[in-house]
Amino acid sequence: MASFWTVFKFSLLRSRWTVLGWGIPLLLIGLITAPFYDLVAENELQLRPIIRGLNPFIKSFIGGEAAEDLLTPAGYIALRYFAFIPVILGLFGAVAGSGMLAADEERGVLDFVLAHPAGRAAVFWGRLAAMGIGLVIIIGLGWFGLWCGVLRADSLNFPPGQLALPYCSVFAVSALFVTLALALSMMMPSRVAAAMTTGIIVLAGFIITSLAKAIPGLETLARFSPMTYFQTNAMHGLNTEPLFGLLATAAVFSVFAWFGFRNRDIRVAGDGGWKFPFSPWR
Amino acid sequence: MNTDSEPVIRAENLTKGYGSFLALRGIDLEVRRGEVFGFLGPNGAGKTTAIRCMLDLIRPGGGLLRVLGRDPQLEPVAVRERCGYLPGELRLDENAPVNLVLSFFQQLRGGSARCRKRANELSERLGLKLDSKIKNLSKGNKQKVGIVAAFMHTPELLLLDEPTSGLDPLVQQTVLNLVSEARRGGATVFFSSHVLAEVQSIADRVAIIRNGKIVEVGTTSELSAKGMVRVRVVLADMAEVTAGEFDALTGVSLTKSEKSGHVFELKVEGGMDALVKMLAKYPVESLETRRPGLEELFHSHYGKRAEKGNRGDM
Repeated sequence: MASFWTVFKFSLLRSRWTVLGWGIPLLLIGLITAPFYDLVAENELQLRPIIRGLNPFIKSFIGGEAAEDLLTPAGYIALRYFAFIPVILGLFGAVAGSGMLAADEERGVLDFVLAHPAGRAAVFWGRLAAMGIGLVIIIGLGWFGLWCGVLRADSLNFPPGQLALPYCSVFAVSALFVTLALALSMMMPSRVAAAMTTGIIVLAGFIITSLAKAIPGLETLARFSPMTYFQTNAMHGLNTEPLFGLLATAAVFSVFAWFGFRNRDIRVAGDGGWKFPFSPWR
Repeated sequence: MNTDSEPVIRAENLTKGYGSFLALRGIDLEVRRGEVFGFLGPNGAGKTTAIRCMLDLIRPGGGLLRVLGRDPQLEPVAVRERCGYLPGELRLDENAPVNLVLSFFQQLRGGSARCRKRANELSERLGLKLDSKIKNLSKGNKQKVGIVAAFMHTPELLLLDEPTSGLDPLVQQTVLNLVSEARRGGATVFFSSHVLAEVQSIADRVAIIRNGKIVEVGTTSELSAKGMVRVRVVLADMAEVTAGEFDALTGVSLTKSEKSGHVFELKVEGGMDALVKMLAKYPVESLETRRPGLEELFHSHYGKRAEKGNRGDM
């Protein structure tokens, strides 16, 4: 347990610049986006027919049938801000999750760490816990930026607690992408391959979930996209079922990644190859 | 728990493959308590693979492996607690300062005051700048960080994988001095290298690994004595000996003869009896014999492999 805390503490310390590098832009996005609602509110009468007349495909990316909600305070925050945050953090998840162990492994750093009395469990779960806390800090900075932005806007009036609800869903969907990238990095020949695959899933998921609002045939496919279970409108109340569904899937990916890491050889630089955690021919 | 009589490292028929390539082809090895054990072989012979198995960084395909009386696969942390490891190509977190890296390793080892004190002593002795970032260090200075991490907890077993590769002679000597000190302090040292002189100067016993198999094990003097003998014969002017006479002797081969026809350099395998009896018929001015060093023995193993390889290519 002592080595778990050591790994956790040092991983958190090590990731501080990454956390700030993602958290501060997120803070700025919230700070800048929210006050723009004042302009939307002032021009509501002119904007409504424009939105109504938009091509269904374009409309699908700003809420589909509910696109006119963009003109309401909660709808604006949901469609102009929360609709894109999971994509940004999904890409963070692809990079950070795939690099959590595989980056050090490919550089040969992990070899020397594991030559010390730290079990693989301590290294894996210590780093994952630090990653989780890092994600919470990034999301916390995003929430703080949005709250400051809301305070700056004359037409918006949300208490900080209400603004925090969608972030629970942001955390769940980001955690899913972090753990998916981690699981893939334990299986695929390289960290880059895992990051790219996860990145493609993030972007494809976003596009499919958005287009499914305009193309009925895509609804079945969209059911497999994590973005479908993200709640942009959580400010009206958080639905715990999809939230726990995403978190449970993230837990499954974590366990899958753990078995992969526990059972396989630690690679050295240039030593790639597919590794299956439950491979019968191991 | 292991006793003093039990080998510190014991491998029996240890195998490890990477796909279809077999890196270890059934290694048998016993390293005794308190000895410096040299593990000789060129790059790709399987030295690093064997050490990585001992630390449970990779899992053997078969056979038995015990380190300090324990199975590294079942009790990796217990094994690593009592081991110090130094690779030749040390990779560390490039953006971290030296003191943070060392503090991390100290805490993984329990963070005892004794360990911290020893780390400070070693850093001072090696002239290591603790506030420098790893990325700003030269290879030699990076290796010093590894030396401190490997020696700071006074381990029972040191696993050194080509620890001096790429280092300047001064740091090389420091590493060798630390190894000698560790041995005097009762530690066992497993020293893998392809620098033969280094192993010969420091090791009590040596194993030579070739193609994932141990081909020789013994003390350095035993191994030196084991191979062939180099003989230089100078005959008196009136002696008329042909090269064919030497070649006709079992185990004797002529490696060089001077134009005068009186000076011969020979390689003798097996015994000297046949050669001495043959030379007794001639007036011998001088006869010098020389046992080959470890280096020659090592090359003789790899020479055989190369010859075999060449034949295989034909």
